[in-house]
Amino acid sequence: MSAPSHTSGALVALVALALLAASCGGAGTLSAKSLSQESKSLQSLASEGALLGWNAHAGRTTRIFTRVHSEELYKAASKAATSLRAAKTEPKLEPKLRNLTYLAGKVSADLKRLGHASKTEQALLAHELELAARTLE
Amino acid sequence: MSVKNVLAVALGILSAIGGFVDIGDLVFNTQAGATFGYQLLWVVVVGVVGIIVYSEMCGRVAAVAKRPVFDLVRERVGFGAGLGTLIASQIVNLMTCAAEVGGVAICLQLLAGLPYRALIPLAVVALVLSAWVLPFEWIERVFGYLGLGLLVFAVAAIKLHPDWGRVAHGFVPGHHVGGSLLVYLYFVVGLLGAAMTPYEVYFYSSGAVEDGWGLKELGLNKVTSMIGYGLGGFLSFSLMIVAGVLFLPQKIDPQFLGTPPLAAADTLGQVGLLLALVGILFAVGGAAIETSFSGAYNTAQFFGWRWGKKERPAAASRFTLTWVVIFALALLVVMTGYDPVKLTEYSVIFSVVALPLTYLPILLVANDRTYMGSNVNGRLANVLGVLYFIVIIAIAVAAIPLLIVTNGGQG
Repeated sequence: MSAPSHTSGALVALVALALLAASCGGAGTLSAKSLSQESKSLQSLASEGALLGWNAHAGRTTRIFTRVHSEELYKAASKAATSLRAAKTEPKLEPKLRNLTYLAGKVSADLKRLGHASKTEQALLAHELELAARTLE
Repeated sequence: MSVKNVLAVALGILSAIGGFVDIGDLVFNTQAGATFGYQLLWVVVVGVVGIIVYSEMCGRVAAVAKRPVFDLVRERVGFGAGLGTLIASQIVNLMTCAAEVGGVAICLQLLAGLPYRALIPLAVVALVLSAWVLPFEWIERVFGYLGLGLLVFAVAAIKLHPDWGRVAHGFVPGHHVGGSLLVYLYFVVGLLGAAMTPYEVYFYSSGAVEDGWGLKELGLNKVTSMIGYGLGGFLSFSLMIVAGVLFLPQKIDPQFLGTPPLAAADTLGQVGLLLALVGILFAVGGAAIETSFSGAYNTAQFFGWRWGKKERPAAASRFTLTWVVIFALALLVVMTGYDPVKLTEYSVIFSVVALPLTYLPILLVANDRTYMGSNVNGRLANVLGVLYFIVIIAIAVAAIPLLIVTNGGQG
């Protein structure tokens, strides 16, 4: 009986550890690696927003899909923007953090507008998001 | 074989294809494609062959010994170790069921535009009603056939004109390009885990016992597991190829369930988008029912309760109560607001950890003449069975360290 209960206990501990480790992160002092990861994830959101925008503009998505999916992208970008605004970094990385915070705000604002934009605006927003994604490279 | 039998097998295969993909396959195949292009296609092949080997053994044991997985686990490894296996399996089942329920709610939201939180209980009620009212065969057929909407990704993969030479190269394991080695290994583990989900096998073997399979169904078992899972694997290839062509060059990391349908929309317009959403809705919904039933099958078989979907709910009351409770717990987990895609990643990784615990007893029983008589594993089944046991042990050991070190594949 003792071996299986040890196994189960170890499994539960590992599960808790993994969940804890994976959920850690967020605001605080950002290293160069963390900044690069934030940048990558923002770039992904901007690129996906641009893809959604172009497809919405071309009539290839439904209005509901565009609204709901852009809202999801907006929430993620807005969360990143909030966390970047509260973050600190070492002095030499400050310009990068400021630039990233600005772009996160811009991407999140564009994504928020995308869900309710007209066809013309959708193309404009898709173009802006594409530019933001390129800047984030 | 008569025309009627051929038709029955064909329909079974179609529903198996439609029911092959669940939220784990969707998440891991698109993320792997968006990160490494076609380089991990070979892992899907390894995973599909693995699930064929595993389910063929389980189906054969069910047909010959007339006993499902957890009945044998308890007998073979004893009560204590069996209970540990049951608890580990139930945790993974619950996580998977919750992820699938969340997936259903997201699909409904993308289709109808209603608030996600309101759609979660609605999704659970619809799934419980379907599971309660529909007979076993109809659950498989309705969700399996409508899940065939996912074939839209196969069409999209062709229409996107991938470099077929590079696609073919992806079926050969080798050095990877781009991304770190640890992230590459994380996706190897995740893709194998997504392909070899134990709940599918519990469901399959319990269904075989319920259907009263005997020796004459051994051929059907081989055909269904080989062709059904084999062709189902094509959906996984399609998802990875689509992500490799469309998402990788644009550096899109698919973190939402709405991202794969966007690829269908980009290639095939609104029809493609709607087919993808309906396909995902029913594939994920069917998987939610399968996970809840698997949990109930496991518990009932382990404790020796009366069980079966074909039983009247009142006659198998503890079995019925168990799957309803699993749905209720899944509802609570999803209502906390935890992201279903993240939950999927964890459930797949933890299912890999628990996999050896149920795989080994089946491998042992399938080799035991006292249970199987002359239908024990042949040479090929044994070589593959042992080989996969080694693979399963290796990925089970590596799964959680890789999850932690790579931050869930984020690098």
